Amino acid sequence: MDLHHAGVFVGLAAGLLAGLAFIMSLFKKKVLDMHFDERQERARGKAFQYGFFTLLIAAYAYGISDVLLGRWCDVLTGVTLCIALALCVFAVTCILKDAYLSLREKPRTVMTFFALLSAVNLGLGVMYHISPGLTENGVLTFRAVNPIIGAAVLVILIVYIVNYLLRPRDEEAE
Amino acid sequence: MKNLRMKAARAALDLSQQQLADAVGVSRQTINAIEKGDYNPTIKLCAAICRALGKTLDELFWEE
Repeated sequence: MDLHHAGVFVGLAAGLLAGLAFIMSLFKKKVLDMHFDERQERARGKAFQYGFFTLLIAAYAYGISDVLLGRWCDVLTGVTLCIALALCVFAVTCILKDAYLSLREKPRTVMTFFALLSAVNLGLGVMYHISPGLTENGVLTFRAVNPIIGAAVLVILIVYIVNYLLRPRDEEAE
Repeated sequence: MKNLRMKAARAALDLSQQQLADAVGVSRQTINAIEKGDYNPTIKLCAAICRALGKTLDELFWEE
């Protein structure tokens, strides 16, 4: 492992640890919560199933694309793309079945957090695009992970907001 | 099939879906889904709803 790769590894590990610590602090402050009722658990189980099969299909499609088209992105970027796709399917299914947020989570707080997360990651993507680094010799580098995550979170955010706006205001009218 | 008996029992106590949901520890959408017949609750949740509404299981959930 040369110095460049060691730097990349340390950077990724540090970012992952910082992200985990941040998410754990959100759970501790009750911004994020995992208490769902039985209908939500069931709906999330179904959504997880859809997400899982999406991941299988996406991973296989990525493998085939690599064989047919040659290397078009880093393996880390490709894996992230597959995971982001599966997460989007899971989240959108949960949102459509009113099972995305738990009983104790505040929608406004969680969606504000998602908006910030998306903005930061997309902002990093734009930064990498301006100061070349997003692609090298036409191949998407690992730096594309940030805009992929940003786009996935943005999709979830948009679906949540649209679903919220289209839902009848009167509870009895649902 | 819609559960109109549960809806009537809730209305008789002047409870909103949200208030009943809070009383039994589920989301409002879950109460709505049960009343609309979109979701079959477990016996545990049925019992909790019966306790909250002061009814028996037969009165709210038994279908002839």
